[in-house]
Amino acid sequence: MFERFSVEARQAVVAAQEEALLLHHGFIGCEHLLLGLSAGTGTPAAASLAALGLDTGTLRQRVAELAVTGDRALDAGALATLGIDLDAVRQAAEARFGRGALDRGKDWRGRPCTGGHIPFTPRAKKTLEVAAKTAAKRHDHEITTVHLLLGLLGQGDNAALLVLKEAGAGPDALRQELAKRMAV
Amino acid sequence: MLAEAASGRDPAQGLRAVRALRELTERLEALQVDSARRQGWSWQEIAAQLGVSRQAAHKKHARRVRGI
Repeated sequence: MFERFSVEARQAVVAAQEEALLLHHGFIGCEHLLLGLSAGTGTPAAASLAALGLDTGTLRQRVAELAVTGDRALDAGALATLGIDLDAVRQAAEARFGRGALDRGKDWRGRPCTGGHIPFTPRAKKTLEVAAKTAAKRHDHEITTVHLLLGLLGQGDNAALLVLKEAGAGPDALRQELAKRMAV
Repeated sequence: MLAEAASGRDPAQGLRAVRALRELTERLEALQVDSARRQGWSWQEIAAQLGVSRQAAHKKHARRVRGI
């Protein structure tokens, strides 16, 4: 599927995984896709977000506070009361089993991800599929960051929409900014 | 610290710590079991190390590691 992604779209997905890994979230969710898109300087998606005052730093803060994928976060504070340094345990686990090893989502299907890869949430996967379908419908050559962002905005309740809402940005305003920057 | 958390008056902190430790244990167990299977360990060998029956180890982990 990623063969049909534009370079920027692929970079956004890679960035999304990186964001999830940095936050020690075990899945790449819609909220991480949003972060990945906002990090793509110069892309229509990133520019549209920036136009609404949504820089990566602000969004990242919101995602970190989000309960959705953070729910399964290990309780560092509680472990500390037992004298366990979670950072040290995580470091050792990741050195042995790859990044994200300790936080990787449990209920993916098929082979467990290894070596620094973490799975997408079903919603995030759906977003990628919707983006592909949108590109096909418009007879666009590649799946771009625009399709990805539209995919996020077009789905019912997802974590990305929640983050945007809490940051005071509505999907319609974002669509308008995107429209200004899309090739006619 | 273990003593403190375990013997404090309010069980909330202690229980929260137990829960966190259990979650951590589960994840470490999964990582190690996957690793053992990749290295060709049998369920019996894994179970022996974990101190559980072969059936218990298989029931808990087999579906997840299917394909390794």
